[in-house]
Amino acid sequence: MIDPSKKQKFVPHKRDGSKIENFRIGSLPPALLALALLAYLAYSFLFPPAPSKPDDTWTRIQNEKVVRIGIDPSSPPFIVDDGKGNLSGFDVALANEMANTWGVKIQWVYTGFDGLYDALNAKQFDLILSALPYNPTKTQDVYFTHAYFNGGPILIVRGDDATTTDLDKLQGRAIAVELGTNGDAVARKWQKRYNLQLRQHNTAQDALRALQKGEVSAAITDPIAFYDFQRAEADTGVGLNAMNWRIVGAPLAGENYIIAVRRDSPTLLHEINAVIDELKRDGRLEELQKENF
Amino acid sequence: MGAPYVVEFFPWAYIENQKGEFDWDHADALVDHARQQGLTVIARLGFVPPWARPEGASTSYLDPEQYNDLADFVAAVAEHYQGRVNDLTIWNEPNVNFEWGQRPPDPAAYTELLKAVYTRAHEKNPDVKILAGALAPNLASPGTPDAMNDLAFLDQMYQAGAKNYFDALAVHAYGWKAPAEEAPSPDRVNFRRTELLHNVMLKYGDDAKHVMLTEGGWNDHPRWTKAVTPAERIQNTIKAYDWCERTDWVDVCALWVFRTPAPTYTFNDYFSFVTPDFDPKPIYYEVQKYARGE
Repeated sequence: MIDPSKKQKFVPHKRDGSKIENFRIGSLPPALLALALLAYLAYSFLFPPAPSKPDDTWTRIQNEKVVRIGIDPSSPPFIVDDGKGNLSGFDVALANEMANTWGVKIQWVYTGFDGLYDALNAKQFDLILSALPYNPTKTQDVYFTHAYFNGGPILIVRGDDATTTDLDKLQGRAIAVELGTNGDAVARKWQKRYNLQLRQHNTAQDALRALQKGEVSAAITDPIAFYDFQRAEADTGVGLNAMNWRIVGAPLAGENYIIAVRRDSPTLLHEINAVIDELKRDGRLEELQKENF
Repeated sequence: MGAPYVVEFFPWAYIENQKGEFDWDHADALVDHARQQGLTVIARLGFVPPWARPEGASTSYLDPEQYNDLADFVAAVAEHYQGRVNDLTIWNEPNVNFEWGQRPPDPAAYTELLKAVYTRAHEKNPDVKILAGALAPNLASPGTPDAMNDLAFLDQMYQAGAKNYFDALAVHAYGWKAPAEEAPSPDRVNFRRTELLHNVMLKYGDDAKHVMLTEGGWNDHPRWTKAVTPAERIQNTIKAYDWCERTDWVDVCALWVFRTPAPTYTFNDYFSFVTPDFDPKPIYYEVQKYARGE
């Protein structure tokens, strides 16, 4: 197992394990160098520097028993303020899981969405948890945790459809989408290749109802709209339920939501990732989604 | 997509980085490429170079003493692009503090700026059209330091004598959450607020002058408070084009924004018609169908 907290010196070896003498990087083929560089970058992304030096933020959270979380509370169903200072939503539930795990309280710090990164780096709070999409242009400024939600469009079929395992199986068939959405965009991209018959609806609910009635073979919507529909229909007792719908595979496009911490907070980063990974492993994260979407 | 016009920003600081020295290289490439695609370019002029503003002042700050410097630049643009780019928008949203050098908006000062550039530009290119306004639609109360109500700003421009110093009014027509057909009202920001701005023109006897929409439209971010659904955005956008088509005093309907150079990962990404990678969004295809009469 790799211990990311320990720096390991790179020593080139032959296949039999003996050291290569007089090794020079320049003697490697360019492709191998490129591969090595890519592997290093991928490793650096997946395993950012571990807590090799003290993390003042994490130390303060531990000492004061308070984690300060930056939010823009206008992002339902992730984070909503009821106007009386009561917060709810998926992000709030996730924050509560973290705080409970660490044995600390939460101090919410309200900030406009556009100012979240600046306020984080100005140390007005410890982390951003606010329906924040992954932003590759910010990777030099902050560390991002593992994704806790993928908002990309999902392919949905009826539960009695056991044959549709991917878009390829929908050759020539009708698919419902919500007009103008990312799901619509994805469907248009694949339309020619699979001869898909697109049925565009004004709302995700209408698209899902078309699937419910058997007017189409599948629907592509964003997952929040789907969960919302599922819950609303379940409330009426007549809708899709776990017995008669199925999400096919992974989202058709990536829209990952992450948490951001400062680059001087490697321990905090690892502690958040540990919570997210555990919630994914034991299925609690999916439960929190269903409860809040 | 079928668009006949494109509004492009020609930053003064990029083209005239030193007083009297003009670098047209990038702007020429842009204009040539646009014309090759059959697009008519409307140039938005602004972005004050460091030599024309006090040290530390923002790029939207210009003192009256430097209005002739701007006039020199506008005249140079008019001359250089005669016959290729005839529509020049002077400044952007001068009724907003942020766009007026972090100072309270000043319609009389903006009118003086128009007076400085208008004659000089026409001397260099008789076919030039000076577009004024490009005001930010808003409902700011009188005395608000951050912004001035667009209707009040235009009215005070006329009172300051702007009538003979612009050839068309540039309008920013944002719909926010209102449908395209919602009737205009002074206490609402919606697409047809354009009609209220036109009424101000009529009030001052500026009947012959036309309007060009150089920004506007709807946003379909899933959570932004001023956004509509993607389907509503498409429907409103088509209705907006149709309204422009039917309105004889509107010459151009250029909506915000074809593409942003890079993703912002905010609601701003949901104004565009194609992604930063030029991947068309569904709204692109729907507008294309409308443009083709399908």
